[in-house]
Amino acid sequence: MERYLKKYTLITSFIAAILFCNHAVAQENEADNYKMAFSFRTEKNNDNARVLEANFIGRNKNDKKDILPIFGAEIKFFNILNDDEVLLGTSKTTNKGIAQLIIPENHNYLIDPEGNINLIARFEATEYIEEESEEIIVKNLHLELIFTEVDSVKTVLIKAFTLDSLGIETPAEEVDFIVFIKTMLSKMPIIEGTIENGEFEFEFPADFPGDKNGDLTVSAQVEDHDEYASVTQEKTVNWGVFSKEIKKGKNTLWSAVAPIWMYTVLTIMLVGVWANYLYTIVHLFKIKKEGDQLKQTDES
Amino acid sequence: MDVITRKKTLVKEFSPMLEKNSSLFRLWIGALVAIILVGLYAFVLQVINGHEITGMRDNVVWGIYIINFIFFVGISYSGAFIAGILHFFETPWKNSVLRIVEITTILSIIVGPIFILLCIGRLDRLHYLFIYPRIQSPITWDIIAILTDIIGCFIYLYLTFIPDLAILRDSKELKVPEWRKKLYTFLAIGYQDTPTQRKRLHKIIKTMSAMIIAMAIVAYTVLAWIFSLTLQPGWNSSIFAPYFIIAGLYSGVGVIIIAMYLIRKIFKLEKHIKKSHFIGAGIFLLVLALLFGYFTFSEYFARWFSHKTTDNQLLDTMFNNYFWEFIFANYIGVIIPIIILFFKKLRTIKLITFAAVIAVLGLWLNRYLIVVPTLETPYLPIQDTRPEFIYYTATWIEWALSFAGIAAFFLFFTLLIKFIPIIPMSGIIEQEFASRNKKDKIAENQE
Repeated sequence: MERYLKKYTLITSFIAAILFCNHAVAQENEADNYKMAFSFRTEKNNDNARVLEANFIGRNKNDKKDILPIFGAEIKFFNILNDDEVLLGTSKTTNKGIAQLIIPENHNYLIDPEGNINLIARFEATEYIEEESEEIIVKNLHLELIFTEVDSVKTVLIKAFTLDSLGIETPAEEVDFIVFIKTMLSKMPIIEGTIENGEFEFEFPADFPGDKNGDLTVSAQVEDHDEYASVTQEKTVNWGVFSKEIKKGKNTLWSAVAPIWMYTVLTIMLVGVWANYLYTIVHLFKIKKEGDQLKQTDES
Repeated sequence: MDVITRKKTLVKEFSPMLEKNSSLFRLWIGALVAIILVGLYAFVLQVINGHEITGMRDNVVWGIYIINFIFFVGISYSGAFIAGILHFFETPWKNSVLRIVEITTILSIIVGPIFILLCIGRLDRLHYLFIYPRIQSPITWDIIAILTDIIGCFIYLYLTFIPDLAILRDSKELKVPEWRKKLYTFLAIGYQDTPTQRKRLHKIIKTMSAMIIAMAIVAYTVLAWIFSLTLQPGWNSSIFAPYFIIAGLYSGVGVIIIAMYLIRKIFKLEKHIKKSHFIGAGIFLLVLALLFGYFTFSEYFARWFSHKTTDNQLLDTMFNNYFWEFIFANYIGVIIPIIILFFKKLRTIKLITFAAVIAVLGLWLNRYLIVVPTLETPYLPIQDTRPEFIYYTATWIEWALSFAGIAAFFLFFTLLIKFIPIIPMSGIIEQEFASRNKKDKIAENQE
């Protein structure tokens, strides 16, 4: 084999070159076949931490159903103001193509005079994939849930506002929201509405059982708002009500007397069967009587 | 041939069965009595020492006694059902098998409940069941159902005996002791086979046959409820009642086929119990095997699919501790009879009987698997205890009493067929006259 390889060095080298080149070309071709899609969103959680999330996928140009998440891509998240660019952190995409960065509540963002926070998620170009970048301008919306109970009427007040550099509240306008109750497996929506002048008030339903202590977790959510992006706030309140009284079952094994229907059914069945036995016995006596008469006739 | 002459020839034909007691017969009776005596000795020991000398303990409180009880009672209900159907629909070939079915029915319902008495730890408190019955309890329903059924079966059996008892009473050629003659006279209640008497008897037999079909279904359902109304893994099932009925029919038909084979062979009754009877019973057994297989699969499949911990533990016990029993009861006991009875070429008398034997053994094991593994898989396991307190093995006491029960069944069967012909003579005459009348009518119509 070795002798042949030496003999045909030129051919061997050519085949090896083709093999390696082909591999490189294939990789390049693979990347070329896909159109990259890069998106960026932010959400403020109930603990006031902000989640920055970039989604990086490739869509097959020929087959729209073929979506390939970009795995392990390094995404850098920045906060910019004019020419200042502050790196908030980096994160690598998961096998679903998602890179997340959580910024704690007390982080000092660069904010413009109107209260806007300018955020950028950036993927820097590699040999095969070009640079991708997305920008979001968002205002830091504060959501508050205030629970009050007056004369047994349970009321929830949702407050939505922004704070300026001096800490003065500015009420939010035209903010659509949904309020949920957290259940064991999912969230149950109880009201949808729009916050006007920074407030929305509604009467809380009085028929939720809550957990074993009667606690309910109420969650208010603003989703993909143009100015504030997504914001969630939740709070636990002891407003759970057991509306159903637990009744003791009457069908017990140890009850002194059986249900009436049981006596009725049993009586009907037994009377039916025993009446039939009686009917049979009566006929047997009639047979006997006839036999006795015949015997007497024969004897006489 | 007129009716009186025909009656005489039939009595002559069957008299050897009623009159002669061969040495083999005496030996057979002696062996059965010996087995029963051993059983009685075991019973005395059990009464003196209590259930300690059986394999039953805290967990497995029911052993082979209850299995024998369900098995025998199942055969009885099955017999009652089949006898009722044969009578009610006036099946043409009923005569040859009817008495076998009826005797099997009545003897099973006598022997079966004896086993339930053996399960009771304090027999001295037995009367409490009647003094303080709880209508809510399925046990009470079962006692009522069994007692009603025993009386119903006795009446039904007696009704079907009356015409033959009358024939035997009137037969002067029959050489039997005087007490038997007197007993025939007493039990025949002056039946002379007059048209009025015949019509009356037919009427009440038909009513009773319908009644015992219904009673068989109700009583066996109640027995199934004793299990299915209990929240035990393996018992709490909604299909248990129909499953029990099908299983009871399956074992009952199996026992009847075996009885037909033995009686045909011993008393040389090939003229009366023909191959066609075996094929008919075999096809019925095939249908029941398919139904039983279907119910068994549904029962275990639902249990396996439920993913309930206790059910899975039960299935583990079945497949580990009772692997071969499970395979025999639910695979061999179903598939072998199906194969034999499905193919026309295999439907010989011997093979049909073999299929019936397999079915009966499989059914007994099936009952064992319903009772014992469930009790060995309780909801609350007992910690740090001896294995014999958890797992069940029957002792010789239980086996002796079980065989005594089977011996009692055979003994009573043998004695009954010594008392009255196994093929109803009145039925043969009726059948012959009915076919003669039919021929005469056809001839008249042709003229």
